[in-house]
Amino acid sequence: MDEQRREHPALQVVGLTKRFGGLTAVDNVDMEVYPGEVVGLIGDNGAGKSTLIKMISGVYRPDGGKIFLEGQETTFVSPLEARRLGVETIYQDLALCENLDATANIFLGREPMRRSLGLLKAVDRKHMLAESRSVLDRLDIHIPDLSRPIREMSGGQRQAVAIARAVYWNARLMIMDEPTAALGVPEQRKVLHLVHTLREQNVPVIIISHNLQDVFAVADRVVVMRRGKKVAERPIQETTMDELVSLMVGGSLLEE
Amino acid sequence: MSGNNPAHLMRTLSRIWAWLFLLALVIFFSLTGEGFFSLFNLQAIGANVAILLIMALGQTFVIISAGIDLSTGFVMGLASVAGAMAMTALPPGTPLPLIALTGLAVGLGVGLIPGLVNGLIIAKLKVPAFIVTLGMFGIARGAGFLLSGGMPLPVSIQGLGRIGNGYLFYYYPSQGLSFLNPPAGVTGVELRQVTGILPHPLTFAVILVLAAHWLLKHSRFGLHTYAIGGNQEAAIRAGIPVDRRTVALYMLSAGTAALAGVLYNMRFTNGAANSGEALLLDSIAAVVIGGASLFGGEGTIIGTVIGALIIAVIQNGLVILGINPFWQFVAVGVVIILAVLVDQAKEQVAS
Amino acid sequence: MRTRQRSWLVLALITAIALVLSACAAPPAPSAAPAPAEPQAAPSEGGDQGITMALVIGVQGDAFYITMAKGAQDKAEELGVNLIVDGPPEWDAVKQTAIVDAMIARGVDVMAIAANDKQAMIEPLQRANDAGIKIISVDTFIGDGDYVNGPVTFPLSYIGSDNVEGGKIACEALIEAIGGQGKLYIQNTVPGVSTTDQREQGCKEEIDAVDGVELVGVDYNDDNSSKAAEQTTAVLQREPDLGGIFGTNLFSARGAAQAVSNAGLTGVVKIANFDAPESAIEDLRNNVVDLVIAQLPYQMGQVAVEYAVKAMEGDMDAIQPRFRTGYVIITRDNVDTEEAQKAIYKSE
Repeated sequence: MDEQRREHPALQVVGLTKRFGGLTAVDNVDMEVYPGEVVGLIGDNGAGKSTLIKMISGVYRPDGGKIFLEGQETTFVSPLEARRLGVETIYQDLALCENLDATANIFLGREPMRRSLGLLKAVDRKHMLAESRSVLDRLDIHIPDLSRPIREMSGGQRQAVAIARAVYWNARLMIMDEPTAALGVPEQRKVLHLVHTLREQNVPVIIISHNLQDVFAVADRVVVMRRGKKVAERPIQETTMDELVSLMVGGSLLEE
Repeated sequence: MSGNNPAHLMRTLSRIWAWLFLLALVIFFSLTGEGFFSLFNLQAIGANVAILLIMALGQTFVIISAGIDLSTGFVMGLASVAGAMAMTALPPGTPLPLIALTGLAVGLGVGLIPGLVNGLIIAKLKVPAFIVTLGMFGIARGAGFLLSGGMPLPVSIQGLGRIGNGYLFYYYPSQGLSFLNPPAGVTGVELRQVTGILPHPLTFAVILVLAAHWLLKHSRFGLHTYAIGGNQEAAIRAGIPVDRRTVALYMLSAGTAALAGVLYNMRFTNGAANSGEALLLDSIAAVVIGGASLFGGEGTIIGTVIGALIIAVIQNGLVILGINPFWQFVAVGVVIILAVLVDQAKEQVAS
Repeated sequence: MRTRQRSWLVLALITAIALVLSACAAPPAPSAAPAPAEPQAAPSEGGDQGITMALVIGVQGDAFYITMAKGAQDKAEELGVNLIVDGPPEWDAVKQTAIVDAMIARGVDVMAIAANDKQAMIEPLQRANDAGIKIISVDTFIGDGDYVNGPVTFPLSYIGSDNVEGGKIACEALIEAIGGQGKLYIQNTVPGVSTTDQREQGCKEEIDAVDGVELVGVDYNDDNSSKAAEQTTAVLQREPDLGGIFGTNLFSARGAAQAVSNAGLTGVVKIANFDAPESAIEDLRNNVVDLVIAQLPYQMGQVAVEYAVKAMEGDMDAIQPRFRTGYVIITRDNVDTEEAQKAIYKSE
């Protein structure tokens, strides 16, 4: 609790709750993330991790509880508004348009315009391309042909495009849902390196992962969920993989 | 790496096969069909395909967005009836340009209503486009017949038919080029030596094609159309106002159908509720032959133009050869399947 | 694996292209359609007269037009005219216009046409006329059919039945069949087709002229028998004492007959069928319909070719701007007479 007084959290959620019919997917969860901090969010399938971050990113309306962004209470009516306020989410399915190229995906929904033929407003592709190059360079990502549709790229490249999109739009909070799933080992390493880069630039990150090694590699703190509830919160140095696994699957294992 | 070359080959092939096919058709008919490769006939193909092509422009956007608009045929009919009623209701002596503009405004205005309704129901109530536009197919059809009293409405206005059937230039050997009207003083048999250049429907279609191409390729709306068709969920998360875009898409489709209806008014001096009935499936076929995917995300205006031309050339060429016209259906059907085969082959080789 | 797949696809592609091209090159299928008039003779050179004539029929595969094409073909052979027969696969002015334009491009000398729409086909035929092609209307007309004083005067002649007269004759016979009084109902095809519009008009005139006969309604069935049956069933519900039905063409009469038979009223409600393809005659023999009104399409085809030759010879006086072909009324009593048998439309 001392930390909280030390500085404002970038994100604070209090008593967040979401129900789907009779099922309570997220049950009264409190959580904070500080600037420059990477928080691992772990839990078994159906523990409520995805529902929690969908509320934080404006996809779902919470049934109860509050969200504070840099100390200000916020209600998101849409993902667009969440993004406008700086909450960028990289989903498991990446939420990219596979038929569009990397540049169009980075700027999707916020395309820069230029005047064309006097009156008409055209999408400024040149500007988009130059900006895409520069943000990809900054993150040390190499994509040879930016005009090719995303579907022709590797999983790691797609992930990198999604991250570059978030970075370009000055994320105040980055949420990553299983960023290393379905990637080869070298590409996993690359993505984890990107998370480090984000932290160096003082962007707070919430990372959801099944892979505890990844969490230990990048997270400062871990939040464990089970059946919709937050069951534990540990600084990474003060926990072990065994302890986290037993927290995830339930107390019974510890008791045995 | 071995897959790279065939993939590249297939990609190139899928991009240009329709062009090659069209070229092959033109060469084939030019060699075998007397009168096919003549200025008159090629322009006639262009003028006759204009209505179909204009209708297919809006459909291209809708199909790229992973939707479908089955109502365009009867929206065209409804617009042609409304346009005809408006034009004939004007007092005698109204200047021709004003008559034509009135027809255009009323036809377009009435035609946009079903598009607005389609779009709102699809976007807000999340009813599948196939169902909504099938419903509108019936509603627009009924409305067109009710409005016209079940009868085609003749628009016998002096000069109106010239708009739909005239040429931008006329060439007469002894007098050179004249603009908009055949050279003065040329009558009777001499009239037969006058060559028309650029039929108005073709000019009209070319302008709309350029506008549609710009809209799809360079505007934010066009980019969002691809995004919605590629991954609607991603488009929503990216903050694209998908509902508003959807409404705009179906209004665009109804709008081009209405323009086709007004062009029908001018070309056939008639307004008929069933004027677009036979064109709906051809216009969807043109879009698909042009490389658009019914699953959304793919397609171009140029592709649709090629698709429409392939259909028109087949229809014209088979007549010139004196082939039983039922073969037209077969030929167009084969080309549609061929188009999808080429597309799938590209996907298979690419993955 | 990948290579094999690819070669399979290329093979499929080539086969498909070959198919399409061979479809274009192959002789027309021996279908019921009026074999596009054996255009083997090189079109432009033609026969003795050096005249190339196009007969653009209303729609393919219809026994009426097949019979008309037969008449034209027989006369063309006799007079040495090179005849090209074509028509749209469906009744549609846009599609028929494409055929007219293709015929202009082929450079025919004369075009006889059963226009798909009396208004919509004016401009396309004006274009053909401007290109120096002589236009003759067969079966249907453009404008109001009056090529002397009407709004459209460029076609040389309108050769066809007087459909007002036909509707009148049909309903006169129908009224006689129901005993001179009662209720009549008209099943029509698609509004805007000059021929069927006029048959309706003629029938209405006859009904108005006879006391004690009442018209209960007119419905349009889109040239679709099952729709005609649905509509007729509803009318039979509404008018249980209906006396007779005038079907303005085969599909209309067929559908009406279906509904009458379903209602168990065969023979009670009399049905007149306009047009006389073989199936209508069969219906007549089977008591499905009671009257068949035959036009004379074979004669229309013959006169069209005769007029084409006269026009090319410059013998304009021999051409009447309106040539009325007559009718034959076929009943179960006269169906086996020679006159009736000759009037039946043959589908090959």
